[in-house]
Amino acid sequence: MAGPGNISYRPMRAIGLLLAFQVVCLAGLGAHEFLQVDWRGVGIEAMPRSRQVIEAVTLILFVPPAVMTLMSALSFLLLRRKGWLLAAISQGLSLGVCLWLYSQTQPWYIYPIMAYCILMILYLNSQDVRVVFHAQWRTSTQQEPGGSA
Amino acid sequence: MAHFDAAGAGGLRVSIEHPEAEALLRRFEPVVRSTKGDKFFPMDVEPYVRACSLWVQRPGEEAVCVVPEGKLDLDRLPQQPLDEAGAVHFLKFMDPHDIAEPGSRTGRFRMFGRRAARSFKESREAFRAGRGRLARVGYFSRFVDALYSITLLARGRVPGESAAAASVSYERIMAEGEHYRYHGRVTRGNGWVVLQYWLFYPFNDWRSGFFGANDHEADWEKICVYLSESAGGEVRPEWVAYAAHNYAGDNLRRRWDDPEVEKVGEHPVIYVGAGSHASYYAPGEYLTELNIPLPSPLARTANTVRGFWKERLGQYAGEGGGGPGYLHIPFVDYARGDGLSIGTGGDREWDPPRLMLDPPPRWVSGYRGLWGLYARDPFEGEDAPAGPMYNRDKSANRVWYDPVGWAGLDKVPPPDEALAAALDRRSDLESRCAALRIEISEKSRLLKKLGVEVAALRDRSHLDAPYEEGARRLAELSGEVDRLRARLATDETVSASLEEYAERLQAGERDPARSHISRAHRPASEAELRGSRMAEAWAAASVSLMLISFVAIALFEREHLISMLVVSIALFAFVEAGFRGRLVNLVSSVNIGLAVIAALILIYEFFWQLVVTTVLGVGLYVLWDNLRELRR
Repeated sequence: MAGPGNISYRPMRAIGLLLAFQVVCLAGLGAHEFLQVDWRGVGIEAMPRSRQVIEAVTLILFVPPAVMTLMSALSFLLLRRKGWLLAAISQGLSLGVCLWLYSQTQPWYIYPIMAYCILMILYLNSQDVRVVFHAQWRTSTQQEPGGSA
Repeated sequence: MAHFDAAGAGGLRVSIEHPEAEALLRRFEPVVRSTKGDKFFPMDVEPYVRACSLWVQRPGEEAVCVVPEGKLDLDRLPQQPLDEAGAVHFLKFMDPHDIAEPGSRTGRFRMFGRRAARSFKESREAFRAGRGRLARVGYFSRFVDALYSITLLARGRVPGESAAAASVSYERIMAEGEHYRYHGRVTRGNGWVVLQYWLFYPFNDWRSGFFGANDHEADWEKICVYLSESAGGEVRPEWVAYAAHNYAGDNLRRRWDDPEVEKVGEHPVIYVGAGSHASYYAPGEYLTELNIPLPSPLARTANTVRGFWKERLGQYAGEGGGGPGYLHIPFVDYARGDGLSIGTGGDREWDPPRLMLDPPPRWVSGYRGLWGLYARDPFEGEDAPAGPMYNRDKSANRVWYDPVGWAGLDKVPPPDEALAAALDRRSDLESRCAALRIEISEKSRLLKKLGVEVAALRDRSHLDAPYEEGARRLAELSGEVDRLRARLATDETVSASLEEYAERLQAGERDPARSHISRAHRPASEAELRGSRMAEAWAAASVSLMLISFVAIALFEREHLISMLVVSIALFAFVEAGFRGRLVNLVSSVNIGLAVIAALILIYEFFWQLVVTTVLGVGLYVLWDNLRELRR
């Protein structure tokens, strides 16, 4: 499908679907981790917190980027191109959280998230995708050169 | 004495006789519009030299005064004996201690101080910088700028009080005889008559007065007007070129009918940068960047990585097209044109010019030293310039010996010669095509004979050696004929294009006026200048704030040093990008950085698994590819 000015919307829909898939995976991962934990007795101060509990709790850190990813996915699916910045920020945040967790507790799930985020970042930054957004931003912000002070 | 005559520039270059030269210069003399707050204007060199002393700096020695102030004039200036290698002659216009005022030494200083302070105050009141240069450029550039300012403490530079002292001295010269004068030269070269207007300013106070890159005594600026001459001897202005800093080439010149070239009658209007005296076509504030190139190995590596990133990985790498180098120090040239205007219709008229016709006067050709203080700045920015004919290193100045090539006009024939040049070129190509056709015809005949010979030798075992030799010669000749045919086809196409171009010229059609310009210097737009006060304040304070926050983190948050530093840098970068509308670039760059780190971690953690997966993947792909071929 090509829009006006021969701009293809296929990459936008593809990115939208990939972002939605990422949110679903994160939600599934969260549910899985939380269901694995025996929450009884977790509140007792004397009890040492198990690695499983820590891993489950740290998943909360992924909630803000997941919300942003969901919003950007909807933007892409509704063909609103401003979702690019939101998507890029959400991927950067997710990677940032992963790298921080890698330096702290190294839960197992950060590796697949890292791999997925790397691929998404490369795709978002690819020439084909950037040109679509860049062209639109440029046409919307470009001014006639030569204005003098 | 060095003369650049007919042999020098590779073309005819004959001086026009005195009265005609002066009349031509006056007919097209520029209108100079300066910026409010500028204190120095184009003046005659004679009173300047009289106010100077002449010094020589020999290597490893203290500078020695050769001719004291009051004893120097234009005749005496070039009469200096030869000096040892590495010696630099220079003029000294200003020494605050030498301000000649009546009364005691203390009284002189007080008087000088009062006048300098008054001059400084007047200048400050007249000039408002507007949105600062730092608000218009990036964080990194501002950081490099801070380092650049710090290097001024270590480098040789013009003393801080010099601008004020020079201003007082200039005022005194003007009080004795107010004048506004340019130094004119007329030459012929490459079919053009070139009018050169050399403007001499006693002081460049760009750094101390207008937040620029440098200060230095004496400043030579130049404007060239290029005239075409008809067979009847009538001249017509075709091009102009205004000098700005050390730029040269096509981007410097404009066609006379270009709307950007403002004119008062036949006088081109020049907007002069405050302090720097760089010349511009339009009023405004120009961002000038001092490019600091990366060391060659680093630059090569950066280019390779960029090429791989863009070409191989298909990643977006910006629009490119920035100047050379990765580090840029920004400065703003304020060429607002709201100050004193000199020339036709201006506040002051030009006085009759001082001519520098060939053979050049001795003060031009015989004095190779600097026209002001030699500050011994390794970057040369604070050293005074040499005269019109020479560079600081005493080599010949291109603007003097090749004014046509300096503006990139050496490849452009005057309009009356353009048609003849196009037809000449076409005729050359036609001759070459004819010769090529003959050569191709002969070689094709030979090729056929050789082909038949090789066919006759094929499958004769006792003739293997001549067969192989013949086949080799056949292949070579065949390739040569192919190349000749390709060249003929190209030449025929070019010839047809030249014919069409000649027809257009004959019909009076001209190329677009700006087709030669690849990167025009443009003033900042209204939108850029409308930046908020917040942005300006942030730009001024951000580098210092960041450094202070680093120290605070190092002192009070040593336990979380790395993470706090990362958070603080991210915060500063985010605010900065927000002010400059560069959030997309920032996010993109940060993401790429994070992705590289994450990729390295994954490789480190899963090296063997990745190797195995890759090998398996390659194996499966090869299998799939082969099976697909089998199925066809």
